[in-house]
Amino acid sequence: MTDPGWTHAAFAKPSDAQDALERLAEAGVAASEIEVRSSIPLGHEVCPVGPQVHSRVPLMAVLGGLMGGTIAILLVTLTSRAYPLPTGGMPIVPLPTAGVITFEGLALGAILCTVATVFFECRLPRLDVPAGPFDRMLADGSIVIAVRSDRVPSQWAAKATATAPTESQ
Amino acid sequence: MAAPANTAKEAALLRPITGVRPGLILGSLVTGALAGLLFFSWGYQIKNDIGVAGINRPVFWGFYITNFVFWIGISHAGTLISAILRVTSAEWRRPVTRCAEAITVFALTIGGLFPLIHLGRPWLFWFMIPFPNSRGLWPNFRSPLVWDMMAIGTYLTGSVLYLLLPLLPDMAILRDRAMAETPASLKARLFSFMALGWRGTTQQWHSLEAGIKVMAVIIIPVAVSVHTIVSWDFSMTLAPMWHSTIFGPYFVVGAIYSGIGVLMVAMYLLRRGLGLQEYLNDKVFNNLGLLFVAFTVIWTYFTAAEHITVWYGHEPSEMAVFWERVSGDYALVFWGMILVNTVIPLAVLSFRWGRKPFATAVVGFGVLIGMWIERFLIVVGTLRLPRMEFTVGTYSPSWVELGILVGSFGMFAMLYFLFVQFAPIVSLWEVREGDHIAGSAAASPEPVTEEAVR
Repeated sequence: MTDPGWTHAAFAKPSDAQDALERLAEAGVAASEIEVRSSIPLGHEVCPVGPQVHSRVPLMAVLGGLMGGTIAILLVTLTSRAYPLPTGGMPIVPLPTAGVITFEGLALGAILCTVATVFFECRLPRLDVPAGPFDRMLADGSIVIAVRSDRVPSQWAAKATATAPTESQ
Repeated sequence: MAAPANTAKEAALLRPITGVRPGLILGSLVTGALAGLLFFSWGYQIKNDIGVAGINRPVFWGFYITNFVFWIGISHAGTLISAILRVTSAEWRRPVTRCAEAITVFALTIGGLFPLIHLGRPWLFWFMIPFPNSRGLWPNFRSPLVWDMMAIGTYLTGSVLYLLLPLLPDMAILRDRAMAETPASLKARLFSFMALGWRGTTQQWHSLEAGIKVMAVIIIPVAVSVHTIVSWDFSMTLAPMWHSTIFGPYFVVGAIYSGIGVLMVAMYLLRRGLGLQEYLNDKVFNNLGLLFVAFTVIWTYFTAAEHITVWYGHEPSEMAVFWERVSGDYALVFWGMILVNTVIPLAVLSFRWGRKPFATAVVGFGVLIGMWIERFLIVVGTLRLPRMEFTVGTYSPSWVELGILVGSFGMFAMLYFLFVQFAPIVSLWEVREGDHIAGSAAASPEPVTEEAVR
């Protein structure tokens, strides 16, 4: 399959972008053939019709926390027992003090896993991304919708501030 | 149809980044020179050993540990306040969050330097890292100093990432503008690198928002743990007026209190210096002022509880420290602290006329001084009068310690000056999102009321 071209349209208002997306849905264009870009999070208000975007960040944060906490408690336990210091009859691994380290390890694991998941889901870092035709307008607050050129219905971008077919994608 | 008119409103915000502001450059140079004083003094101490500092038996913790506690406290300005405001969805947070988060990162960096400075031989700091030394010994995880290392390391890592994550979309905005205007410039390349390829797709926004929310929830207990653990450096001992069960929350409240103080000063200076009246408006200062009043009352309550309990118990060694503060050598600074930390904030900020930008900044500056004094009284006040009376001593800082103190403020200001010239100090996308939400709410029809349903 040859790399398909995409047609871009920039919209000044979220409501105009929403209208354009509804026209695309009426024309039977699948969500996978549409890309919406913006300089603010628009949430479900302006979203390609079809499967909603999802994130596993909360789940991964919990898993990362469990992993970090486990590593921390193993670190405290195993290293203290590897070279037991004289404690005058007190425990080699006292739970209250091990708890402090465990908590910090848990938090660190959750933080690192959260950021790693965000980067993974966002496909970042990608330093070789080519510039899009309306990046400047995007920076100024417009919403850019890109559709595969062979699926563009007529008049779908009626309220767009600018449109451009490109081969950049 | 033209593109949305964000550019006019954002011009003042982006001017330090896109253009050259002589004032900012001069400020960077002057504060950079002060930061140089820190490293000169520290270098002198490393060369001539720790004896050049004023610390001596029994006051082994002087200015360095005072500054350590002070700067770690200041760091609670940002990430904690920002996270609380995000979690509670406070709309007025939008222009505040990045100013605050930057404060956290810079204050933590500086605060983290002080244990190294206090160490005397900073090249041995790796003894604290979880790594076995040549004798196979690992760090003693029962030591509060190792807890400090772990807590500050976690908080610094979290705070840096919490600052950088929301910065990605703003860096993409700067990148797209720079690439359109001067694609070959150094700034365009720098912004391209810092944006990490952010494109603003629906999935990216969804993941980023989820990440920021999760980070905000995690960072709150981490921030609380950091200053609790710093307080345990003191309260885990049996020293007079340190061995207190409320030291954890007392330190956390003091940290947030001083944090809001520095935030108000920074915001006022940014507003005046960069002309950001449209972002950092009177409403923001009014809301922060109200928050400040609440923390004034809480801090005063804790301070009173701490002193009244000691006074009622009347234990001789505790009372020696108590009377030294209340009517002895440190009475002047103690009552000065009460004046700037309790009396003036309540007298000014309790009233709407007082919660104006200049007044809040002045009060915030006073609280900064007051909170530094509080840390000094806790550290030095107790160490001067230990339980064994024959070891009573005095303490006066040397020029090295004073140079490092002044230099730390210079370094903090220098980092802030540099950051303002590199990134938007107010989050562009968060403010735009706020405007969008406000616009949508204004345009939406009246909500259906119960009467209408009937």
